[in-house]
Amino acid sequence: MSLTAFMVLVIVVTNAAGDIFITKGMKRVGEIEDFRPARILGVLKQVLACRDFLLGVFFLALSFFSFLAVLSWADMSFVVPATSLVYVVTLVGARFMLHERIDGMRWAGTLIVCVGVALICLP
Amino acid sequence: MKTFIFLVISVVAQAVGNTCLSKGMKTIAASSPGFDALSPDLVVFAMGSPLIWVGTVCLIVFFGCYAALLSWADLSFVLPVSSVGYILNVAFAGYFLGEPVSATRWAGTLLIVLGVVLVSRTAAERPPSGFVTRGASDSMDS
Repeated sequence: MSLTAFMVLVIVVTNAAGDIFITKGMKRVGEIEDFRPARILGVLKQVLACRDFLLGVFFLALSFFSFLAVLSWADMSFVVPATSLVYVVTLVGARFMLHERIDGMRWAGTLIVCVGVALICLP
Repeated sequence: MKTFIFLVISVVAQAVGNTCLSKGMKTIAASSPGFDALSPDLVVFAMGSPLIWVGTVCLIVFFGCYAALLSWADLSFVLPVSSVGYILNVAFAGYFLGEPVSATRWAGTLLIVLGVVLVSRTAAERPPSGFVTRGASDSMDS
């Protein structure tokens, strides 16, 4: 596997992980219903003290800087479409880790995304 | 109308942002002898580049507009429509960055857009938080 391909994988996986951890963290903090400044400050303190949220931010930062790193040598017209693999990662994650039932249309769409990414890889 | 405006701003901001980041990183790599993209120094280099800052601000604008959009529009609508952004990204790469975009690469991009449209069909209301492709976490289905 080339370094570029590996980096794209890193971008995609850390992005998905960051997304999941932030969601987990925010769910724990709970729905924000009171938007008064004093209450928002309270929510902010809760969020920043939440390990899941911080882990999520860490992974997203990793994803972003990996993205910057690849862009220093690879074509943007390759990297950006290639990151659409995140749809595949999340679908597979939903199916095998959350045991969701995925309908045919969604599998088909995911397959088409894969074919598209494969084409992007060709010269 | 509000939806259309926010969609256009977010899609364009994302493409412009990525273009600036790409240009910024290529410039850093070209002008810094012994530059190692995989070392933590990357952060220092990036923070010293105005283009990187502009690109980051653009992505923040994209984020903000996208989140605002999702506060009133369905994810199953926003997601496929904003996947048009892929086409804009590739077009900008070819036009502003002079990247050689082959017909195969265009075909692949269009297939990705089609794939995302199909995947979005039954997307639930959960908004994404990543800067990479939107709403991938939508597969937490209803």
